[in-house]
Amino acid sequence: MNRPSWRLWVCALLAVFPVSVANSAETPKPGGILNATLLEAPPSFSIHDETTISAVWPAMPCYNNLVLFDPLKKQESLDTIIPELAEKWASQDGGKSLVFFLRKDVRWHDGQPFTSKDVKHTFDTIRETPDITSKLRVNPRKLWYENVESIEAPDAQTVIFRLKRPQPSLLLMLASGYSPIYPAHVPVAELRPKCLGTGPFKLKEYRQGELIEMVKNPDYFVKGRPYLDGIRYTIIKDRGTRYSALQAGRQDIAFIWEVAKTISETTKHAVPQLVLVETSTNVNDHIIVNFRRPMFKDPRIWKAINLAVDRKGYIQAGRQGAAIIGGILLPRPYGVWGLPEEEQRKLPGFGDPVKQKAEAKKLLAEAGYGPSNPLKFAVSTRAIPTYVDIASYVIDQLKQVGIEATLEQVETGVWHPKMSRGEFEVALNLTGIGPDDPDANFYENFRCGSIRNYPDYCNPEVDSLIEKESQTLDQKKRLALVREIDKRLQLEGARLMLGWSKEYVLMWPYVKNLVPHQSIYNYGRMQEVWLNK
Amino acid sequence: MHVYLFQRFITAFLTLFGMSVVIFILLRLVPGNIVDILFSSAGFVNPAAKQEIAHELGLDQSIPVQYGRWLRDIARGDLGKSYRYDIPAWQVIKPRIPVTVELAFFALLIAVILGVPVGVLSAVRQDTATDYLLRTLSLAGLSMPSFWLGMVIILFLVSWFGWIPSMTYVSPFEDFKAHVLQFLFPALAVGYRSSALIMRITRSSMLDVLREDYIRTAWAKGQREWIVVFGHALRNAMLPVVTVIGIEFAFMIGGLVVTETVFNLPGVARYLVDAILWRDYPVVQNLVMFIAIVVVVANLTVDILYGWLDPRIRYGVR
Repeated sequence: MNRPSWRLWVCALLAVFPVSVANSAETPKPGGILNATLLEAPPSFSIHDETTISAVWPAMPCYNNLVLFDPLKKQESLDTIIPELAEKWASQDGGKSLVFFLRKDVRWHDGQPFTSKDVKHTFDTIRETPDITSKLRVNPRKLWYENVESIEAPDAQTVIFRLKRPQPSLLLMLASGYSPIYPAHVPVAELRPKCLGTGPFKLKEYRQGELIEMVKNPDYFVKGRPYLDGIRYTIIKDRGTRYSALQAGRQDIAFIWEVAKTISETTKHAVPQLVLVETSTNVNDHIIVNFRRPMFKDPRIWKAINLAVDRKGYIQAGRQGAAIIGGILLPRPYGVWGLPEEEQRKLPGFGDPVKQKAEAKKLLAEAGYGPSNPLKFAVSTRAIPTYVDIASYVIDQLKQVGIEATLEQVETGVWHPKMSRGEFEVALNLTGIGPDDPDANFYENFRCGSIRNYPDYCNPEVDSLIEKESQTLDQKKRLALVREIDKRLQLEGARLMLGWSKEYVLMWPYVKNLVPHQSIYNYGRMQEVWLNK
Repeated sequence: MHVYLFQRFITAFLTLFGMSVVIFILLRLVPGNIVDILFSSAGFVNPAAKQEIAHELGLDQSIPVQYGRWLRDIARGDLGKSYRYDIPAWQVIKPRIPVTVELAFFALLIAVILGVPVGVLSAVRQDTATDYLLRTLSLAGLSMPSFWLGMVIILFLVSWFGWIPSMTYVSPFEDFKAHVLQFLFPALAVGYRSSALIMRITRSSMLDVLREDYIRTAWAKGQREWIVVFGHALRNAMLPVVTVIGIEFAFMIGGLVVTETVFNLPGVARYLVDAILWRDYPVVQNLVMFIAIVVVVANLTVDILYGWLDPRIRYGVR
């Protein structure tokens, strides 16, 4: 009788083995401590006071939202919103009321029961209604809830958001990592040095500037979650040390906002088993011209600036390949609302660089500028390497069309006050958007008088269009309107868009269910994360 | 001696007072304060809210009033509240001081252990191959910034051993071995540079002393080499070496910023930079005062040590 050869046995084993490994890999294992990385200490744990990922990332596991973007789906949209503290929700009165039905089995980390009062307290505090007892120190997202007329809590498990007009975006904003529910029985100021939420993890220890340690919440309302026993966020200021710590296995995951393509790829090359996920940051790079200055009243000037900058070169030189071109809203494949690439390429600034530079020179000549009388201005930017790199590239591009621009580096502490006061001519800026959503972007940056409308751009027609898209319930119609606004804002120079930066998240392969999203601000809950060790 | 000490204490007190004025004024000359930074990171400015926070933190008061309040609080033992962390400044500063002091002490220990014997050997073997080799090594130490050496050490450890020291502070009572390893590598990086300086000073001082008559007499009497070198020459050559050691220690306390950052040690120096960037005035003022006190005390200690090392020095006697 012929015995099967050893090769046959090996083939059979190889055929079966991957399947069994894959199956076991998909079964979450409870336990273990996730070693996560931070590049700076959070300014505070009060997410509603903050605007930085350094605060949201370590504080998110402590809290819950009413609803949340599904942490396991990489692209966030209305379709990926899942319940958290709200079991379900419904839109009523033609979209003018949003009713949330809350879970009954939720307790705060100090044992107090969670009720609708907490929800009302949270959003009334942000809206700064007259009856609030404590105020946020800085309230950066009041604007998000401008359309909320009132919040009612008819019983302990029901909350009704009454709106001035329908606003589909409200649910997206509520699903952001920036929208946790705060306890009504704890003054807001007390939530800055510590966190007290309903979330899957409790704060165990905070060594200022060094370490944040979270432990599993044993009374968490989702049974069987979280999988991890705890999370240790180590603050490592030096980038080289951060990557060395990851490489040496001290850290399980790199910080999620490094925007460091080269070092990530080098580390991956040194340790091939590391997993490298390429994603978006939802942060865009753009040039701002100050429309308050007389020279920019002439549209030929800012049009020439826009045409002078080669976008392909910006990606290669300014961002070392870690960006994609795009307009006002994050483009595909990462975003939902941005212009398709073929449409974006038709807009001024995104075409053939040689032809565009010739056109820019022509516009400048028409405006009275040339080699004997060059246009001169300062390009202001934050004194941070990423900003300075891109600004230097822009200045070089401007020189090629005869504009003599100089670089002005502004210390971070005075950057936004200076921008808000309009004390600049041209600026190179980066803007991060919480959720990938038109309202969060348009209302903050582009409406007449918006808080971050640094160029002082104002077009009442565009404002009407923004109002219209904001209350359009039909998604297809809304998308068409959003794209129309995107084009108009670019054509009118509201921001001279360069592109959107990309992120490169490195982690060890045993870290499971940590799925980077297109926005860095919304996937830090860690409830589903487990370690396959 | 007592008169001298009294004079030195008065001088030290006046120096610290002058430092407090300089620190206070310089910090306020830097554009922006914590309130600007809070709103800067938020990307907008709300003038009413800014005013409210400035009032809450006492930043709307005049500079002399703020200065007077700071001195009053220090006199009461109250270091104020960290604007950034919303907790007492002392709570932020306290755990950091032992880390920096320990690192500086270890680094200095390494510097002395390496620098003094090597300096002596180099002097005794002047203009030989050993001398040239040791001088080259010391020149290399002076030429390499300690933070660069720190980065190289980290990269070496990762590349060769796939290991680096702990990224969070490990208490010696919790894990002694991990604690020692955590401080050993940064101390080596800093200590090597300092040892080069100490070696060069020791060598040149020894060369001077070795040419003295009493050393020649000792050789003529047929005393053993180690007695002549260590018993007679080294003790008399130590005065400038002790001065350098004292200055190096004081310098290290404030100068370990990059080493602490590279090795992620939660020390005073690293935190000071953070606090300056955030304009966390109470923390910056008190930390800089702490460094100033260390410098003053180190200098005072060195002066007192002179008398012990060289009995010919008599303080306060003319």
